[in-house]
Amino acid sequence: MVNVQHKNLDDQAITSESTPGWKVVWREILYDKVSLISLILVVCIMIVVYGGTIVLEQDEIVRVDLFSIHAPPSSEFWLGTDYGGRDIFGQLIIGTRNSLSIGILVTLLSGVVGIIFGLASGYYGGFVDNVLMRIVDFFMFLPNLLIIIVFVAIVPDYSVITFALIMTIFQWMPIARMLRSKALQQRELQYVEASKTLGSSNLRVMFREVMPNLSSIIIVTMTLQLAMNIGIESGLSFLGFGLPESTPSLGTLVSYATNPATLESRWWIWLPASLLILILMLCVNNVGQAIKRATDARQRRV
Amino acid sequence: MTNNKIILKINNIKTSFKIEGGFYEAVDGVSINVYENEVLAIVGESGCGKSALAYSIMGLHERSKTMVEGDLLFKGQNINDLTESSLNKIRGKEIGMIFQDPLAALNPLMKAGHQIEEVLILHTNMTKNQRYKKVISLLDEVGIPSPDTVYQQYPHELSGGMRQRVIIAIAIACAPSLLIADEPTTALDATIQGQIIELLENLKLSKDAGVLLITHDLGVVAEIADRVAVMYAGELVEIADVKTLFKTPQHPYTRSLLNSVPSVSDLQSQLHVIQGKVPPIQHLPRKGCRFKERIPWIRDEAHESHPELHEVARNHYVRCTCYKDFYFQNVTPREEKPNVYTSST
Repeated sequence: MVNVQHKNLDDQAITSESTPGWKVVWREILYDKVSLISLILVVCIMIVVYGGTIVLEQDEIVRVDLFSIHAPPSSEFWLGTDYGGRDIFGQLIIGTRNSLSIGILVTLLSGVVGIIFGLASGYYGGFVDNVLMRIVDFFMFLPNLLIIIVFVAIVPDYSVITFALIMTIFQWMPIARMLRSKALQQRELQYVEASKTLGSSNLRVMFREVMPNLSSIIIVTMTLQLAMNIGIESGLSFLGFGLPESTPSLGTLVSYATNPATLESRWWIWLPASLLILILMLCVNNVGQAIKRATDARQRRV
Repeated sequence: MTNNKIILKINNIKTSFKIEGGFYEAVDGVSINVYENEVLAIVGESGCGKSALAYSIMGLHERSKTMVEGDLLFKGQNINDLTESSLNKIRGKEIGMIFQDPLAALNPLMKAGHQIEEVLILHTNMTKNQRYKKVISLLDEVGIPSPDTVYQQYPHELSGGMRQRVIIAIAIACAPSLLIADEPTTALDATIQGQIIELLENLKLSKDAGVLLITHDLGVVAEIADRVAVMYAGELVEIADVKTLFKTPQHPYTRSLLNSVPSVSDLQSQLHVIQGKVPPIQHLPRKGCRFKERIPWIRDEAHESHPELHEVARNHYVRCTCYKDFYFQNVTPREEKPNVYTSST
């Protein structure tokens, strides 16, 4: 057995308490009142929306009721009804759920694809990088509106899931590009070489060593993307290329405002949905910014 | 020494890097054996190809930009032409590596203990519990006073010396028969250097492993090396056991190196400086004595046209014949010291 003497106190363990990552993020959010309120709002909206859908039935709400067309807000219809006599409040809850689900789903799916593409091309570099980045370029060049319109026309059984998949096709590239540039930096660091000298395979180094070191960037990018995706979904639905009327979303509600009469005299149809889009996007963005600051020591406010 | 088994036989290794379309040799025809239970030190200035040689052995060079030719016979098996995956079975298990900068070589987001455990996961079938015990005993073996605490700590929470100990623990976890230490003490301060050297020496004795020590610190060499190979501009210029090398250095480069070690006791004397610097690999002289341009006062005829290693004594090899005629030029006066740099350009 080896017996090494410790002559130097300097070499003793320095036991400093390190703050785990989520605690830093939490502190940053607590300190920044705007993002704290944003977080509370987002969480409240999510609880109401996902809780509400347990009680409310989508088919029930989108059923046409000819006796109560364009009813103003009342005790029966809290936010009035639309041209089909459908309850706006119910549609708002279901619509927010659909919009949020699409936003989250698109973010997760494009996150997975983007992470794999970005990590692989950054880590391997050279030829692999070239090929993967040309694929990314190809998807960037695609006229996305045009293709989404085509998909809407040809895909049968059009629902939240299929719409999310179609949107993912055009949303994964920014994450891939961002991660590629970071992975290029990381692979030059010596811990990657060191891990290889242990006999770790490339995949292991990529996903167990490099990816955790990029986790903050992944989380930040994906949070900010979430806000963007909710906006894009609403925009597409507004233009009529999103979800059909039978599956309401925030965008479909706002699109009723294309009728001048609705825009002028029936505010209850489009105003709540517009406000909700605004609030959701602002709040998610605020939380995202707080996380972003927390992960960069130079930007931290605490 | 020669009775011992050869662990690694480096046979005419050439490592060339792709620079602006052309390939340039950073390591040019190095042949040397590493024996069991021996510390072989490779010394030389920065840019001599020491680390390039170590990386070639480990197969760490990027394959698209580097060419490694020659044989690396590790226990009789040529590891130079192995695929990445078969090399992975040897790396970490049979060959361990210690890096220069312990902070950079540790994953900043993994606990020290888990980084050591990683090797055991890759190369052994131990259960989780066994691995934990093994990691603790390894941490203990490398002289970490409170293994349980350090196990749970992240690299940035450890001091430089502790980090290097963790690196060493990783390198020796599977009791490799070859340990490559790439400047293990360069990033550490003097007292910790001493401890790490002592640790390395003890490990060698207890494990029968061969150690390939790459360093530019001659103090470290004198301390633990058994044999020394001096490397200049991609070539080995002198090989000898450590006593011979320090007592009767032959090659002008070795002598200049030894002469330029600052001495604490002798405050009066001038520090010797070797003229010029190691040429960048695109401009390496590819024929004749590579050290020639840094000792311009030696007449041309003293050099060989194709310098080879000559056995000047038993197991003492020197490249080129210029060592016979070499003498130190007068010490550069202090006021004119900047001239050393201007004359090199």
